[in-house]
Amino acid sequence: MNKLFSLIKTDLNITFGLSSIIYSFKAKKQRWQIIVFGIAMLSLIPTYIMMIKVLDTLYDSFRQMGQQSYFLLMGFLGAQLLVFFFGLLYVMSKYYFSNDLNHLLPLPIKPSYILTSKFITITVSEYITSLPIFLPFIFIYGIKEREGILYWFYSLLAAIVLPVLPLVIASIVIMIMMKYTNIKGKRDLIRTISGIAFIIIVLFIQLKIQKFAQQSIIQGDDFYFNLARDANLLVKKLGIVFPPSMWGALSLANYDNLIGLTNISMFVLSGIAGYMLMIFLSEKIFFDGLIGNIEVTASKGRGKKKDLEKTSFVTKPYLAIAKKELKMLFKTPVYLMNSVGGVIIGPLIVVMSMATGDTSMEPLMEIINRNVDIVNLAAIAIIGTLGILNSIGTTTFSREGKNFWIQRTLPIKSEDQIFGRVIASMTIQVIGAAVLIGSLLFIIRLDFISILIILAVGLLASIPMTEIGMIIDILRPLLTWSNPQQAMKQNMNVLIGMGVAIIYGGALFLLVRFMYGNMDIWKVYLILITILLVSAVIFFKVLNTLIEKQFRELE
Amino acid sequence: MLKLNNISKSYNKGAIKAVDNINLEIKTGEIFGFLGPNGAGKTTTIKMIVGLLKPDEGKIILDGVDVWEESLKAKSMISYVPDNPEIYDRLNGIEYLNFIADMYGISKEERKEKIEYYSKLFNIEDSLGDIISSFSHGMKQKLVLTSALINNPNLFILDEPMVGLDPKSSFNLKELMRKMCDEGKIVFFSTHVMEVAEKLCDRIAIINKGKIIAFGTMDELRAHAKERESLENIFLELTEDE
Repeated sequence: MNKLFSLIKTDLNITFGLSSIIYSFKAKKQRWQIIVFGIAMLSLIPTYIMMIKVLDTLYDSFRQMGQQSYFLLMGFLGAQLLVFFFGLLYVMSKYYFSNDLNHLLPLPIKPSYILTSKFITITVSEYITSLPIFLPFIFIYGIKEREGILYWFYSLLAAIVLPVLPLVIASIVIMIMMKYTNIKGKRDLIRTISGIAFIIIVLFIQLKIQKFAQQSIIQGDDFYFNLARDANLLVKKLGIVFPPSMWGALSLANYDNLIGLTNISMFVLSGIAGYMLMIFLSEKIFFDGLIGNIEVTASKGRGKKKDLEKTSFVTKPYLAIAKKELKMLFKTPVYLMNSVGGVIIGPLIVVMSMATGDTSMEPLMEIINRNVDIVNLAAIAIIGTLGILNSIGTTTFSREGKNFWIQRTLPIKSEDQIFGRVIASMTIQVIGAAVLIGSLLFIIRLDFISILIILAVGLLASIPMTEIGMIIDILRPLLTWSNPQQAMKQNMNVLIGMGVAIIYGGALFLLVRFMYGNMDIWKVYLILITILLVSAVIFFKVLNTLIEKQFRELE
Repeated sequence: MLKLNNISKSYNKGAIKAVDNINLEIKTGEIFGFLGPNGAGKTTTIKMIVGLLKPDEGKIILDGVDVWEESLKAKSMISYVPDNPEIYDRLNGIEYLNFIADMYGISKEERKEKIEYYSKLFNIEDSLGDIISSFSHGMKQKLVLTSALINNPNLFILDEPMVGLDPKSSFNLKELMRKMCDEGKIVFFSTHVMEVAEKLCDRIAIINKGKIIAFGTMDELRAHAKERESLENIFLELTEDE
C-alpha cells in the first residue's frame, strides 16, 4: 500500500508541477506570470456568467413542463460525456505515452498500481473539467427548488463519483484498443486514427439514440398526459443515452424518498464496480499494449542510397521549419489527437448537433438557408476559433522541449520562425476548414462564393489567432516536460491563449454584429478582412521582437 | 580567433556565481581543452559562446563578430555539440540532417557530400533512414556530430564529446579535430578525460568555481605545478583545495 501512496503522490506532483509551482512562487521574476494567468482567467468569467444565465432560463422552461429533473440529467450527461471524451485523450497519453513509464516499468510494481496512480491523477484533472459544467446545474436546481440538506449531501457524493465511470470506460476502451493495435510499423498512426474514428462514431451513435428517444416521446397523443403524470419522464426516456447519468439525475430529483436512495447507490456502486473491473483488466492487458509501445524497433540499417537521395531537396528555412513542425505533429499521437483531432471533431460536433434530422429543426434550417451571410460569418468565426483551439500556436515553442537548444543555436531569422510555425498551423486549419465546409454541405446549401469566403476569411482569421498563441508561448515556454501531454494538454499557455483570444475575438464579434444589417455585407467583409490583416501584421511585429529577445534571454 | 572578455554569469540573482570574470583568447587553428570538476562552469561558459545563455557581463568575439550583437552571423560560423544529444526523436536521421542543412542554407551538392562523408566516418550511414528514437545514445551523438559538421564551422564547440562514443568513432573524432585545426578552424571542447586533453590539445584551461585557475600549453601547466608528471595530477592538485 505504501508503494501505491508513494506512486500517487509522485504522479500528482509531477502532473500538476506542485514542486515547480512552489519554486516559481519563490522566484519573484515568475510572479507576473501568475498575474497574467489570473487576468486571462478573469476574461473567461463573462462567458461563464452568460452560460449560467442561459442555464437559468433553461431551468425555468423545464419547470413549466414539470420536468425539471431533466435539467439535472443535462448537467450529468454534459459533464460525464465531456469527461469521457477528454478522458480518451488523457488516458491514451498518460497510460501509454508518458516518459515516466521507462522508469516505472523496471521497478517491482504491479500494473494495477501504476494504473491506479495515473487514474487518480486523471480523475483530479477531470474535476477541473467537469465541475465548472456540473456545479451550475446543481446549484440552480438546488436553490430554485429550495432543496434540503440531503440534496446537497447527495450532490457532493455525485460530484465526487461523477468522473469515475466515464473515465473507467475510457480506460477500458483505450486498453483494449492499444492491445489490438499493437502492430509493428505505423502503430502510432493506426492508434491515432482509430482514436479519432472512435470518438466520431460514439458521437454519431449518441445523436442517433437521442433523436430516436426524442421521437419515441413525441409520438402518440398521450405525450402531454404522460408528461404531466410522470415528472421524471424525460429523464427516463432520454437518460438511456448513458444510464449512470440518469441514475444521478433521478437520485437528486428524488433525494427525499427511496427512489433517490436506490439511484444514488446505483450511481456510486456502478463507479466502484467499473473501477474494479478496470483494475482486474489492467492486470491482464495493460502491459500487452504498453510493452510494444515502449520497445523501439532497433535501428534497421535500411539501404543508404535511397535515404541519401532525399538530401537532394533543399528547402527554404521557413518551409523547413513548417515541415518539421508538421512531421512532429503527425508523428506524435498526443499532438495529433489534440490538434488535428480537435479541428476535425470540433466542426463535426457543431454540425452534427444541428443535423439530428429532427423535423422541428426545419424552420430553423429554412431561416439559415435564407441568410447565407450569417452562415458565412458563423463559419468564419468557427474556423478562427479553431485557430486558437488547435493549440498549435500556444504550444509551438513549448513543444520543442529539451530540443529547444537546436533552434536557438542555429542561425534562424525570427521571421522564418514565425512564417514556418504559422504555416504549420494553417495547414491544420485547412483540414479543419475542409471538414467544416464538408459537413455544412450536408445540412445546408452553400454556393461557391460562400465556400470561397468562408475558406479565405476563415483562414485569414486563423493567422492572428495563431500569432496570439505564439506570443503567449514565447513569453513563457514550457520546456521542461517529460511527457508530450504536458506540452499540450497541461500547458497553461493554452488556457491563457484562449483567454486573450476571447477578448480579441469577442471584440471582432461585437463589431461585426454592430455592422451587420447597418451596412452592405461586402463592406462588412471588407472591414473584417482589413482588421484581420492589420492585426496579423501588428502581432507579427510584436512576435518578431519577442522571439529575438526571448531566444537571447531564456535560460 | 575567439575572445572571451571579462565574461561573468550568475544564477539566482547573483547568489551563485557560475562564471566569474573569465578571459580567454583562443587562436585560429587551435584545439582548446576546457577542464574542470563538475559544476565548475564549463557548460555555462560553452552555452554563453553558442548563444544559449546571455552573459551578465563581458563580450564574446569570434573572428571580429560579437556573438551576442550579431548573433545570426556568429551562429552561422559556429557548430555546437551538447553533452546530451537531445534531438527531434520523431524524425528520422536524414530528415534531421536535412533540417539542419536547410537552416544553414547548405546547397544540395555540398550537403550530400558532407552527409555522405561524415555519416560514413562515424559509421551511421546505414541508419540514416531510421527514426531517431531507435538510436542508441552513441548513435545520437554521432548524428549530432554529423549535423554539426555540415556547415563547415569556423568554431567547432563540443561539450564532453567523447561520452558514449565507441573507440573507433572517438579516434575518428580526434583525427577530425586535428584536421579541422590544420584547416584554420578552432576546436573548443570540454572533457573529463585527462588523457584526451593531454594528447590532443594545443592549450588547456582549467576552470574551478567559475574562475580560470590555470591556462596554457601542457608544458606551461607543468611548470606551475609541483606534481609534474601528468595532467591528471596537475588537475587534482589545482582543484583539490578549492
